[in-house]
Amino acid sequence: MMAETKINIGPVHPSTHGVLRLVVTLDGDTVTHVEPHIGFLHRGVEKLVETRMYMQSPSYMEKLDYVAPLCHDELYVSTVEALLGVTVKERAQWVRVVQMELQRIASHLFFLGTVLNDIGQLFTVFMWVFKDRDLVLRLLEEGTGGRMFYVNMRVGGVNRDLPPGFAEHACKVLDYLEHRVKEYEDYLNSSSIFMERMKGIGVLDSRKAINMGVTGHMLRASGVEYDARKAHPYYIYEKLRFRQMVENGGDCYARYKVRMREIVESIRLVREALHSMPDGDALGMPIRLIGPLPKEKEVVVRRELPRGEGMMYLIPDGQRPYRLAIRAPCFINAYTLEHLPVGHRLQDLFAIMASIDLVLADVDR
Amino acid sequence: MKIKCESLRETLSEKIREGYTYLEKITATDYIDHIEALYFIRDIEKNLDELIRFDLPAKNPKVPSVMDLYIGADWYERELGEMFGIEIVGRKAKRLLLEKWDGTGAPLRKSFEWGKPYDSKSG
Repeated sequence: MMAETKINIGPVHPSTHGVLRLVVTLDGDTVTHVEPHIGFLHRGVEKLVETRMYMQSPSYMEKLDYVAPLCHDELYVSTVEALLGVTVKERAQWVRVVQMELQRIASHLFFLGTVLNDIGQLFTVFMWVFKDRDLVLRLLEEGTGGRMFYVNMRVGGVNRDLPPGFAEHACKVLDYLEHRVKEYEDYLNSSSIFMERMKGIGVLDSRKAINMGVTGHMLRASGVEYDARKAHPYYIYEKLRFRQMVENGGDCYARYKVRMREIVESIRLVREALHSMPDGDALGMPIRLIGPLPKEKEVVVRRELPRGEGMMYLIPDGQRPYRLAIRAPCFINAYTLEHLPVGHRLQDLFAIMASIDLVLADVDR
Repeated sequence: MKIKCESLRETLSEKIREGYTYLEKITATDYIDHIEALYFIRDIEKNLDELIRFDLPAKNPKVPSVMDLYIGADWYERELGEMFGIEIVGRKAKRLLLEKWDGTGAPLRKSFEWGKPYDSKSG
């Protein structure tokens, strides 16, 4: 038996995708204990919004998850809308769904690139995927004016409606992406290295997944059927036909598979939404129009974000929130790092970490 | 669902038997004269949500740990302890999870001031 070794990974390490420190105890090269150190990016967003007026905060929310900012923006604005009792304009609901699904595609493509980077296929697929992701970002830029951060949601609607000719352009990009995603899948399924590094690694069974409270693709890859778009339907999701993607493996490969299938499903969703989108006004209220609100009310809003289910709990106090509690999907998914790598070898730790798909800004808030 | 702090573990055990096996979040709100603790739980199969809430005193707040009922409560409890100065009873003390300064202070309490250490005993 070899002596126990303790090694330190991070806080700045290419595979941690942000500032995360892991203190790993090894027996030979088998992981026996992992202690994640988070909080390097803790900005105290929940405290910060208490000092800002309602519509000064969306840009803070976007920085929670900088890979899918639009979805966090939408979650916060719809929490404020729930507080005010505002119904979102019909066309704006469609615009929001189109933009959120495009953001989901961009975010999942990012995942695909990084997961391959972390298991050793350095930068080849990463570059391909970034080129494709850029096409989606350009679509979002066309629609919102922003490339990385959008702040396009306004109470009751959006800041910018989709420009003329958007649907045609988007459909061209989506056709291309559909073809590309299939290519990636064929390529990866024929790669024995990829399969060996992903299959049977970091298995999380459904019972434990529920007990840990993991969310999003982690939960669905463990065979639990739960998608907030189905469980708490919002906007037009009830009108659209889509499936929640469930895999039974619970391992890294299942988590990758759920993501890939979700890209294809989102492509279909955007196409369908663009096809049946009604005409009309989609613009929301100007920012300054939100008045003081009584303190008695409280709202809880849930949304299926690309990294799992996000939830916001808001209590108002006049012009500002009294308390905003954010349930960040990455926070609880990151917790699995204490359990999943145990018993695996050190290199598998990186495959597991990549398959969880963390954004550390979301973990720390 | 409003309960008493003492019956938290009992209530959650009963809820787990009913099917609420998923813990969504643990958090709290500081109302200055008291703190309200919030436990969001869910029955995934029946698609039901439940919010368990109870009041804690502003001075020396303590809640029992529920980590043996829901493993996922681990980090939420540590966060609750650091952010609100609530003592979690019945679990091993671990190092600070989120705070990277000296650890004195409970930032999400309304009485929190930057640079001024917070004393949980004075409320």
